[in-house]
Amino acid sequence: MRVEYINPFVESAYGVIQEVLGAEVERGELYLKSTSMPVLGVAAIVGLAGDVEGRVLFDMSKETAIQVASQMLRSMGMEPIDELNDMGRATITELANMITGQAVTKLHDLGFKFDLSPPAIFTGDNMEVSDPGVEALIVPMQIPQGKVEINVAIRERT
Amino acid sequence: MKAKQDFPSINERKAQGLKSTGEPYRVLVVDDSMFVTKQISQILTSEGFEVTATAADGIEGVERYKELYPNIDLVTLDITMPKMDGVSALEKIVEFDNNACVVMISALGKQDLVKKALLVGARNYIVKPLDRKKVLERIVMSLNR
Repeated sequence: MRVEYINPFVESAYGVIQEVLGAEVERGELYLKSTSMPVLGVAAIVGLAGDVEGRVLFDMSKETAIQVASQMLRSMGMEPIDELNDMGRATITELANMITGQAVTKLHDLGFKFDLSPPAIFTGDNMEVSDPGVEALIVPMQIPQGKVEINVAIRERT
Repeated sequence: MKAKQDFPSINERKAQGLKSTGEPYRVLVVDDSMFVTKQISQILTSEGFEVTATAADGIEGVERYKELYPNIDLVTLDITMPKMDGVSALEKIVEFDNNACVVMISALGKQDLVKKALLVGARNYIVKPLDRKKVLERIVMSLNR
């Protein structure tokens, strides 16, 4: 996977999380994975299609998701949540949407043309994700609410 | 006894969501995210706007607009939505009402997309993340245009 695809996601994730959560983000070491891998419990996914194709997954534990959503809701003067309800899921999904949207905008300015799918969210225990034929790059980020992993699997369309 | 007008007003500014007649601007919010719909509604109602209706996809948004017309002053329109995207919905709304005041709100800020939306007839384009100041400034600017 070319690094040009990845940097915009890393930069956007960093910037958007900092802006909407008002928190410091600590970036972990990036790593590549080509086999199936476990998902932490709450995964928001956005599909990409165009010059490149693939998907971006935003993965975190349920507790982290509740805290992240609560912080985003509180910052707007809205009620925080204590369980991952519809509003909580919509909030996490929107976080994924903002990060992906900003990254796609940056990639577009670099000349890559593709579109986004509306985001979807999966929740559950013992989930795994695999992308046959595509390596996934994982960008771990540590925030006060816990760990968020951004998992990007993209390939050029042939 | 002091009359009311003897006291200085601490808030001379008129709420931005009110027309010169004192009536609120009526808004249709079209977005597939419950979070964003609530976020936009919260910002607008705090300034006196009235969120008359919401819709969760482009098709529903166009239908709502036609139902509400002419009792609607502003539409906020997301871009990436199921069933019909925001730019297609914008085309349909403008086709129906050439004077529609539509403001696009999206996480996507791709130049050609922004250009296209403005060419089709959007009054403004707000790129997320949203903050209160940015949203109100752009919306008030669009209504006054």
